[in-house]
Amino acid sequence: MDGTTIKNVNAANLFNKRKKTNELIFRICMHVLMAVIGIILIFPYFFMVMKSLMSTEEVTGAELVIIPASPQFSNYLKMLTDEGYFAAFGNTMFVIIFNLIAVPLSATFIAFGFARCNFWGKNALFAFMLSTMMLPGVITQIPLYGLYSSLGWLNTLLPLTIPNLTGGGAIYIFLARSFLQSLPKEIDDAAKIDGAGSLRRYFFIGLPLCKPIIIYIMINVFNSNWGDYYGPLLWRVNDEFPSTLAYKVFYSLTNTDVGNDKINIRMAAGVFMSLFPAALFFIFQKQLIEGVTMDGLKG
Amino acid sequence: MYSTASSRKKEKAERTVGGVPSPAAPRQYTRLQKFWKDNREGWMFVLPLVIGLGVFTVYPMFQSLIWSFFNYTGDTYFYPVGLNNYISILTKDPYFWQVFGNTCYYVFVSVPIVLVSGYLLACLVNLPYKSIGFFRVVFYLPCVIPGIVSGILWGDMFSTNGVFNKLLALFGCHSDFFQSGNSFVAISSIFLMNLWSIGGGMILWLSAFKAIPAQLYEAAQIDGAGRFARFWHITIPQSAPMIFFNIVTMLIGTFQYNGTLVFASNNGEGYRNAMNMFAVYIYNQAFRASKWGYASALSWLLLIFVGIVTGIMFWLRSRIMKED
Repeated sequence: MDGTTIKNVNAANLFNKRKKTNELIFRICMHVLMAVIGIILIFPYFFMVMKSLMSTEEVTGAELVIIPASPQFSNYLKMLTDEGYFAAFGNTMFVIIFNLIAVPLSATFIAFGFARCNFWGKNALFAFMLSTMMLPGVITQIPLYGLYSSLGWLNTLLPLTIPNLTGGGAIYIFLARSFLQSLPKEIDDAAKIDGAGSLRRYFFIGLPLCKPIIIYIMINVFNSNWGDYYGPLLWRVNDEFPSTLAYKVFYSLTNTDVGNDKINIRMAAGVFMSLFPAALFFIFQKQLIEGVTMDGLKG
Repeated sequence: MYSTASSRKKEKAERTVGGVPSPAAPRQYTRLQKFWKDNREGWMFVLPLVIGLGVFTVYPMFQSLIWSFFNYTGDTYFYPVGLNNYISILTKDPYFWQVFGNTCYYVFVSVPIVLVSGYLLACLVNLPYKSIGFFRVVFYLPCVIPGIVSGILWGDMFSTNGVFNKLLALFGCHSDFFQSGNSFVAISSIFLMNLWSIGGGMILWLSAFKAIPAQLYEAAQIDGAGRFARFWHITIPQSAPMIFFNIVTMLIGTFQYNGTLVFASNNGEGYRNAMNMFAVYIYNQAFRASKWGYASALSWLLLIFVGIVTGIMFWLRSRIMKED
């Protein structure tokens, strides 16, 4: 009798131990796997940084150089001054700052109407707005070109900014509306009873409460405008166009005048361009990864 | 006029006496006035949206529909050609069917790749370890890099003397990647490039996982459900609305993929049209060849096709919902 119980206890111990070692092995395997994936994903970026520091000979040479013999930090200086990237950077910043203010403000303004007011045609308008999300953007391109041409907006930054005064996209309005609806309505009602008009309620109650969603919208607006080369490509007519940074990089890439020997400068521009979104990401990673993205769609 | 500030105050005072509506002098409104009064606040808020949709969406849409029936090249002379644009696209255009096939191949392979690889990675970073936060950041990092930058980078890595060909040379192989004249090779290299931003799909699934109550998994585990059963019977149905929404927007977005403009030769068409896809084809027809009417017809065909695919998706969803 005694012997068997001891045996059982031993077996249980052994089983637990084995389970523990199994878990440890699993854990190590998973970490190795993640580390490998991480290295594979980081390598291209590392490669880009290295290439941006190479001399022209190293870039154009036939054999592959991974780490430059002597890092050429002057490439960055060259990029920012000689190539006119600095002016392009200014234009990009103008577009981005305008949109950073215009999109969150107009999107929450419209969303406030949907979330807190009742009016004739509300549901129909909302459904219609959502259905435009399904509309391929290419269909509006050509007539918009005609429209901007007759307005004299071509070759300027206006097409990249003015349309964003109208909400900046259905998805932002949709997210802001869902967010506003998830907030308690009591504060709003209290203000209403105290005699606050709807505009006042928007500016002093709705807008401050929307802060999390505004941060989310702003990050997305920054990223989409920062890397947007297609918009400028559409509305540009000739060299008088105030080029944005992304378009400048695109132009230097596709234009045949610019030879392959400039690849290091281009890579420097690439590194420069990825610095800002990466910094934003590190600061706001919680909001981005955990995400308010689709909270409204849970139901 | 009741709408001025002073008269509004007076009207409020008339209507309420100590918080109780006074029966003495109820203000009489015509129906129209009442309608306007009830709605003006809401209308004021959505006015920017109505203007925006009207000017930047509805008007261009109908304009392009009209132009698609004309032989319009951007100058003042244009004449109606009826359905000829559509007919010649479908029957005479030497590139259209290749473009169509390329787009379909890209869309219907790329979207599942994003979903599946994103799911696998999300499972990995959903493990309860302390170091997970770090790995999530590393995996998501390539996604924040602008598309143009990754286009440059991968264009260089895939070049004849680039990293990948040096690697392949170790095994005695060589590939043209983006420069390939073979659609299969060229577009598959785009998938390889897109795997770099696998973190996007990961985030999608992670936020779907987060919305699922943990009790469901615990209960299933007690009942003896395996990993796969839990995925199939809990994860999928619970995250279905969100995943469905994302698939639909992803499909629509992917149909309009124009990233090839950055790294493909011949204005984004690739060598021998290997990477020529819908959005780029429309762009080149409209803005390089100045065939506005023709390009409008192309974009309407794209709209119809996207509409059909979206319709099928909704139909599939209702079918699956019914089974549950």
